[in-house]
Amino acid sequence: MERYKISLAGREKISLVVVAIVILLLVVGLVKLQLIDHSEFLEKSESNRIRVVPITPRRGVVYDREGKVLIDNRPSYTVSVVPAEEVKGKTLPNLGQVISLDTLEIRKRIKKNMVSRYQPAPVKKDIPFDVVAILEEQNRIFPGISYQMERVRQYPVELGCEAFSGYVGEVSEEQLGKNKMYNYRLGSMIGKEGLEKYYDNLLRGNEGTAYIEVSASGQILGPYEGRKKIEAVPGSDLTLTIDLDLQRTGVEAIDTFCCGAIVALDPRSGEVLAMLSYPNYDANIFSSVIPESLWLEISSDSTHPLLNRPLNGLYPPGSTTKLLTVGAGLEEGLINENTTFKPCLGGMQFGNRFFRCWYAGGHGRLTAVHAIEQSCDVYMYQLGLKLGVDVMSRYFDLCGFGRTTGIDLPNEYAGLNPNSEYYDKRYGVNKWTQALALNNAIGQGEILVTPLQLAQFYCGLANGGVVYRPHIVKKISKSSGEQISVSPVMSFKLPFSERTLELLKEGLRLVVEGERGTARGLHNKYYAVGGKTGTAQNPHGEDHSWFVGVAPLDNPEIVVCAIVENAGHGSEVAAPLVGKVIRTYMDKKTRRENLARVADGGDR
Amino acid sequence: MLDYRQLDWKLITATLALSLIGIILIMSAQYYADTDYQQHYYQRQIIWLLFALVVFTVVIHLPMRIFDVSAYLLFFITLVLLVLVLILGSSRGGASRWFSFGPINLAPSDIAKLTLVFALSRFFAYTKLPVISKRRLALSGLMTLIPVMLIIKQPDLGTSLVFFVILFALWFWSGMSPWYLLLILSPLISLVTASHWLSWAVYFVVLLSFLAFLKPGMLNSTVVVIFNLAFGIITPFIWNRMAEYQRLRIKTFFDPSLDPRGAGYQIIQSKIAIGSGGILGKGPLGGSQTRLEFLPERHTDFIFSVLGEEFGLWGSLLVLLLFTFIFYRAIRIAARCRSRFASGVVMGAVAILLFQFLINIGMTLGFMPVTGLALPFLSYGGTALVLSWTLIGLIISADYRWQEY
Repeated sequence: MERYKISLAGREKISLVVVAIVILLLVVGLVKLQLIDHSEFLEKSESNRIRVVPITPRRGVVYDREGKVLIDNRPSYTVSVVPAEEVKGKTLPNLGQVISLDTLEIRKRIKKNMVSRYQPAPVKKDIPFDVVAILEEQNRIFPGISYQMERVRQYPVELGCEAFSGYVGEVSEEQLGKNKMYNYRLGSMIGKEGLEKYYDNLLRGNEGTAYIEVSASGQILGPYEGRKKIEAVPGSDLTLTIDLDLQRTGVEAIDTFCCGAIVALDPRSGEVLAMLSYPNYDANIFSSVIPESLWLEISSDSTHPLLNRPLNGLYPPGSTTKLLTVGAGLEEGLINENTTFKPCLGGMQFGNRFFRCWYAGGHGRLTAVHAIEQSCDVYMYQLGLKLGVDVMSRYFDLCGFGRTTGIDLPNEYAGLNPNSEYYDKRYGVNKWTQALALNNAIGQGEILVTPLQLAQFYCGLANGGVVYRPHIVKKISKSSGEQISVSPVMSFKLPFSERTLELLKEGLRLVVEGERGTARGLHNKYYAVGGKTGTAQNPHGEDHSWFVGVAPLDNPEIVVCAIVENAGHGSEVAAPLVGKVIRTYMDKKTRRENLARVADGGDR
Repeated sequence: MLDYRQLDWKLITATLALSLIGIILIMSAQYYADTDYQQHYYQRQIIWLLFALVVFTVVIHLPMRIFDVSAYLLFFITLVLLVLVLILGSSRGGASRWFSFGPINLAPSDIAKLTLVFALSRFFAYTKLPVISKRRLALSGLMTLIPVMLIIKQPDLGTSLVFFVILFALWFWSGMSPWYLLLILSPLISLVTASHWLSWAVYFVVLLSFLAFLKPGMLNSTVVVIFNLAFGIITPFIWNRMAEYQRLRIKTFFDPSLDPRGAGYQIIQSKIAIGSGGILGKGPLGGSQTRLEFLPERHTDFIFSVLGEEFGLWGSLLVLLLFTFIFYRAIRIAARCRSRFASGVVMGAVAILLFQFLINIGMTLGFMPVTGLALPFLSYGGTALVLSWTLIGLIISADYRWQEY
């Protein structure tokens, strides 16, 4: 039995060894935590108590050319949950009751928006102020809940500015991953369309960072002094070239029709004075979470309110490009101002097809300017035949069609300028005839243009051939006080000589003032207007109604291009519309001049 | 009259140093607390310390024989108290562990530790039964099991473990070979390893080769194997009968991340506190984990985490050093005592202090389960402090009277 006993000295030794082992175990544990893993735990203890709060800068305000506010910010409250501080069975049910969301949905949103367990994950945006008051007053029953005031974009719905304003929305995960957008976080607002997108970097400013210290219960103890707060830099304000009065006139004028677009440019600089797409949508709904039903309604609307017609609407130009046909003929030496072709008898036979003129009665024998005045198709057919498909295509290209204008807005379409190469591909080599040139000569066939391109072309006609790149931002005002004025940039020159331009301008004048002009309704005794009607046939329904107006004709300051979809003759629908916009412009100009004269008189 | 010069002053100084460090830490832990009551925990601890010193003085003046002759009586009184606390005790969080006398909470389980040491020491000092006789083991085991059953009923799993440790320590100290002790404890190892059949199989191979080496006799070997088999098989049943919070504690002990807001939270935050302290610590009142209340139970169970965060490695090592000194000194005293009773009492005291020391600090470092055992001398708590000082008093007394039989 002695085997199971142990001497006193042995027991003492073993006891001391046991103590030594215990101490060693604890020392190893301590050294591991405090020496080896120290930095890791130090970081953890910092992130435990320091909450990094991004400070969203004020997004730049957008003004019209006269300094009227166009896009502004309004306060909006977002409620968030700090996952690490949430109390199970308390936080979410209580919050759910107040913001009328079920716990499951809140949990889903937290999971989606979570950055770290210690940072607030947004749950619902734009909650009403009285809910904020409840959260504030009874914060005891909402552990781990915080709310942030942020500014939300406010767009003027009634002015149809969506065509150029675009809208902002939360940056998508795809966007975050694809580009190196280190300045954006989940939940950051980013410009999604229009100038909000194009000028996003200027408008958004630089995000700031605040460090606050929090206790275990989520109580905010105040700013953390260890790290310096980085102030947010407000975004730059933009002053646009847009004139809100013209914009409003345009919206009111087009309101009675289904769909269409208006673009007004200053030919002397390329400034966009008005731009609208109709029907428009409410850009405000995109700033917050869009209800699915509303989204479906907008995106499935047969009038396509989301289509940005001035930039993305592709239409056959119709008779509006007859000036291009005539210009090309003059430049190519195929005609001169006195040249006449076979008389128009309401149409002409080409091959086995009869090409009709829009005026069945026939225009008779016409010179170039009168062919423009009366928009005679037969004259253009004969000229188009002489020019041929490729020469026509070259002139279309030189006049800015088939390529983007370079306006400072995103997603502009180039349109379509077909040539023989295109036709070979489309129909097969030798499978098509010069009959296509007949169509192109009257702006029909495959050619497709945007309203902006057409307006740009007329700017060139009005401005002695010089085309300025259309732009929408006039001035950038940085938060530092620095102001950058955007000066006009010459884009290209029309391929027409001065003499040709003069003739074409005469054509524009005759359309309004001529005895048999197609837009005589715009004639008035106060100022000279020129322009050209267009009636574009399209396979989808009734003809589109075009009109491009230029005023005052002697020294043009404004070019207005309007299209009304499926509305019939240009002279009946689009021309009066353009006339209203031009009239608003001219009235304002007169008033301005009168005021200046009165002020001058007072001085004397 | 006591000859004060003969007292082990180094041991007393070390203990006093630990108690004072404890008060500083309690003050720091609750300095920024919400209520006045919490902020003044340290003042109450000072009063308790003064009271503990009075008890200590009384204990060192009393002859050891008094405890020897009254050991069974004291033990019996304690058992009565343990029954009474189940009926009359104040409950908190579903557990009735205390008698409340105004602001004072008296936990009879603390007293039971002391009186069990007395009773077992007396039993082993005078029994003529051979070291491994079955009656000896059964009687001492029964003495331990009675208070344990009563305490488990409270329920307090952590404290009941202390009683087994006392029993094992005194079995060993009364002469049982540690190998034999290991055989007795082997079913417990079965219990743990049985969580997976593979670990259990490996353990069983080790156990069998151990038996072949030790040759404890056919009958004993058979008993050991049967018990091991039985424990290994019933483990799943015990597991299923456990309360959810107990299971969670065991599970999160192995993987704290399982429940970062519940049981694991404490361990995670404690590790962050100690780890972030580094070598020099963040200084008194400088611990953000402590100050901002990330650290739970920071003035009681997790007082060592406050030490680790604010005083770093050097502070922690200093405390370990003081404890080491106490244990070393006490074991030497236990070995020197001529009285078998006194020697047993000192060893029992060492067992209580060492076990709580290991489990508590091990818990704050993240490698021991969360049992709710406080750190002697440092954790806030009146009766625990008085008990610890009583144990030191007994050690000092045994040392002073080492020549007495």
